Amino acid sequence: MMLRADHVTSGYGDGPVVRDVSFAVAEGERLCILGPNGCGKTTLLRALAGLLPYGGSVSVLGGEAKALSRRELSRRVALMSQLAPVYFAYTVYETVALGRYAHGGRGMLERDREDDRRAVRESLERTGLWACRDRLVTQLSGGQLQRVFLARTFAQDPAVILLDEPTNHLDLKYQVELTEGLRTWAAQGSRCVVGVFHDINLALAFAGRVLLMDEGSVKALVPAAELDPALLSQVYGMDVAGYMRAALERWR
Amino acid sequence: MRTRGKMALLAVVSVLALLAGVAVGSVSIPPGDILSILASRLFGAALPEDVGAVYPAMVMDMRLPRVLLAFLTGAALAVSGTVMQSVLQNPLASPFGLGVSSGAGMGAAIVIVTGLAAGRLRMLVLPAVSLAFGLGTVLLVIWAAGRIDRAMSNITVVLVGMVASLFFNAVMSFLATLSPVYAQRINLWQLGSFSMREWSSVWVLLPVTAAGIVYFMRYSREMDVMTFGEEQARVMGVDMRRCKGRLIAAVAVLTGTAVSFVGVIGFVDLIAPHVVRRFFGASHRRVLPASALFGGAFMVACDLAARTLTPPREIPIGTITALLGAPFFLYIYFTGRRRGGP
Repeated sequence: MMLRADHVTSGYGDGPVVRDVSFAVAEGERLCILGPNGCGKTTLLRALAGLLPYGGSVSVLGGEAKALSRRELSRRVALMSQLAPVYFAYTVYETVALGRYAHGGRGMLERDREDDRRAVRESLERTGLWACRDRLVTQLSGGQLQRVFLARTFAQDPAVILLDEPTNHLDLKYQVELTEGLRTWAAQGSRCVVGVFHDINLALAFAGRVLLMDEGSVKALVPAAELDPALLSQVYGMDVAGYMRAALERWR
Repeated sequence: MRTRGKMALLAVVSVLALLAGVAVGSVSIPPGDILSILASRLFGAALPEDVGAVYPAMVMDMRLPRVLLAFLTGAALAVSGTVMQSVLQNPLASPFGLGVSSGAGMGAAIVIVTGLAAGRLRMLVLPAVSLAFGLGTVLLVIWAAGRIDRAMSNITVVLVGMVASLFFNAVMSFLATLSPVYAQRINLWQLGSFSMREWSSVWVLLPVTAAGIVYFMRYSREMDVMTFGEEQARVMGVDMRRCKGRLIAAVAVLTGTAVSFVGVIGFVDLIAPHVVRRFFGASHRRVLPASALFGGAFMVACDLAARTLTPPREIPIGTITALLGAPFFLYIYFTGRRRGGP
């Protein structure tokens, strides 16, 4: 297993937000976490990324996350969040190269190593950014900028990519492009993706399996195609499938 | 132009600024004479006979220590500003804006008024108290900003810093009113001055500034990562708690030491990083040394203006940096925004 969560409990100090969550993600898998606002999706992701303390166990590539150093964990797990503003004018290349931080040394005179350069170039090419590597990130549109952050995540070369609503504020074209990029990435080598998406349709199109959460606990862990619409409606407090069908009708 | 070329050009400009700082004043000293005097002092070369008799004392005892102190102060403040902006992911942050300089200045004012700085310990007590107050201020501002706004947005941090800065300045004014004996000294402190400074100040600030720059250079990659946000930095492998704490403490030490010698001087710490990023990009490996050179040269130029614009009176250095710095900052900021940079 690439990633295994056993009886994970986590929160922000005023009682647990996530309670007793267990699941495992295999090589090449794409798991999406679904659930209404406040159900603990982001809290779970932050615990998996080592950003929040947790009870229970999170193991990545067989190693307990708590026992790993920050750098060691970052070589195994990356987190891509929703688009955030950038204030400093780094070039696209420099920004993507920062993804190599966890792999690099510390010396101030140290030059980028050959494997770093190769990883950065591959990530830029994979995301179609090689041609604009000298542009400043402050000059990019939201969609382009998120593509740079995707490239940076690839350059980090983790085994697990966690996604925290990375498609928010993006045009449809960039949403599809980003999820396709991640799908291709996950299919190669020992990798997997665990994602939270705001858009249920996007999540179901992207995911192989779905982890449905409600009030901090797991409601269902099933292949995306087998998700019970009745359960989804119960958790979201509305007729989700009916709403989607009505939306589809407008396109006929 | 490539980075090395630009850095070399900036170094040449810095040397020229230092030379101009020593050459220009109530009595002008030809640059050739300055170089001869320096060669004679440093390497024991014979002093040419046509060098004015008063020049060696003027250069070595008055102008050179003053100009070097100005350069070191400018470098220390500019580098501190660069680090502060990166650590707080806030291009509007600076030690002055966050009240660190005013806090350190208030510490110094308390030392002056209470007479703690009397005697032989003066060289140690003043810097130590200044940097303790500087550090205390930055912790206070960050704590208060975090309480007001959990996300610690740029605007909140800047506003809280401004409140702290105004408050500490008010305390300094109050102390000056209470003790008329020290009023002039405290008032001078509030706007900074390089007058009446001796070599001893240079010998303290030189190693502190050099060590500070080397220390920050070690963290240049971490700071690059930090500019994209604290959570992202952690996810990318930076031990934020350790790095942030160390860097902020080092900024307080550097700013506090500089302030303890020359008083509160604003703007250079805010504008230097912006100017430098425009020409050198955002990478700290380039921005840190370039900020030091630019900040140093800018401060020497400001000091030159301070003592030559209204002779025989001297304009406080903080007034000059603000008069030049504010419009310059707006120009750089807005033209930079049009080009896409911050």
